[in-house]
Amino acid sequence: MSLLTYMDRPVPIAPGETVLEALLRAGIEAKSSCRAGTCQTCMHRAVSGTPPEASQRGLTEAQKAMGFFLPCVCKPETPLAIAPRDDAGARREAVVRSLERLSHDIIRLRIEADDFDYRPGQFLELIADDDLKRHYSLASHPEDDPYLEMHIRLHENGRMSRRLTERLAPGHRLHVAGPSGTCFYEGVDPDQPLVLIGAGTGLAPLYGVLRDALKRGHRGPIRLYHGARDPRGLYLRDELEALAGSRENLTYRPCALDADAHLRGDVAAVALESETGLEHSAFFLCGGENLVKRLKRDLFMRGASLRAIRADAFTPGA
Amino acid sequence: MSSLYERLGGEKAVNAAVELFYRRVLADGRIARFFEDVDMEDQIAKQKSFLTMAFGGPNKYTGKDMRNAHRRLVEKGLNDSHVDAVIDNLNTTLRQLGVPETEVKEVAALANSVRDDVLGR
Repeated sequence: MSLLTYMDRPVPIAPGETVLEALLRAGIEAKSSCRAGTCQTCMHRAVSGTPPEASQRGLTEAQKAMGFFLPCVCKPETPLAIAPRDDAGARREAVVRSLERLSHDIIRLRIEADDFDYRPGQFLELIADDDLKRHYSLASHPEDDPYLEMHIRLHENGRMSRRLTERLAPGHRLHVAGPSGTCFYEGVDPDQPLVLIGAGTGLAPLYGVLRDALKRGHRGPIRLYHGARDPRGLYLRDELEALAGSRENLTYRPCALDADAHLRGDVAAVALESETGLEHSAFFLCGGENLVKRLKRDLFMRGASLRAIRADAFTPGA
Repeated sequence: MSSLYERLGGEKAVNAAVELFYRRVLADGRIARFFEDVDMEDQIAKQKSFLTMAFGGPNKYTGKDMRNAHRRLVEKGLNDSHVDAVIDNLNTTLRQLGVPETEVKEVAALANSVRDDVLGR
């Protein structure tokens, strides 16, 4: 096996040469800037093999766990197969197990795929057709669930929505690729406050992270804020209230914009108002792009460390 | 005599400074608009890399890299006053961290040395 492989293509690398130099010499387009391991412009991902420790310096624990590394300071000594940072990998077949309504416009899709290794909170690419693909976050837990679970908002006239509601049924086949994303429970101190903030189906990855945190014995307080436009969007509410009732360190705070006084509130405002001592907490933020961007910035400006903020923003599908 | 980067404390010093510095930059009305619509994770890596350079640490930037990286900002009106503001924030951050005035000046001089490349002149 070649010492360096890029997307299944062997790339010659001379002793003492960096992966970046080898890629460029082979005519592979790889962006770079500082070439000294700090700016992270050239980041790639190892799909097999272990990148040298020096090439992962400065990355987050979640990025390291995913195999991300910096080619400009990477001199491999053992075989390394790599891919661009956003490459989802090969697609594989999956079978629909169930489709259920979680609310008036959210469905729970469970599918089965063999050997799909993931961490709860990561996302996959669901491929219904070559021109019909969407990213969905995983709410299931690989050690507990024999399926991959996604929470999907239905959009009127959305192509994937129509496919899911009108044509897909248990037993049908589709494809998945991934997983991707670093929104998972890694690099969190089990004693630090864990703050999960999400809106709409942004609950899916948070639910995955929450289960993983509990399973791994997170001891610090866990506060889950879930927002929706109206109370019907606060799906899984009964289940989460029951869970919070049974766990001393878990608080669940549902918020809806159009609701009575008990639930009323914008989830971002409620979370920002309630959270203090931000510099000690770990955050997971999931939901629409505007919400996630605003929260990330506000939390950072109020003292949260960017390294302690993991975020997953949904972008609308075409 | 050890290098400026070593005297400042190397990578640890950069890590200590980067979030303080980035918060100042984002809160500075003179330059904040240049940082809208950028991914904060990407941006903090770039800030870290800027500080590493300004601290005299390892980097292989060329003038061309600096020009390319800032071209879009120059089109948006980036000029000397904005570079001054960045260096101001850098100085304040270092003083806040207790860095002696001699080193603060050395860092400012290094940051200043890429001014023409950053502004595409």
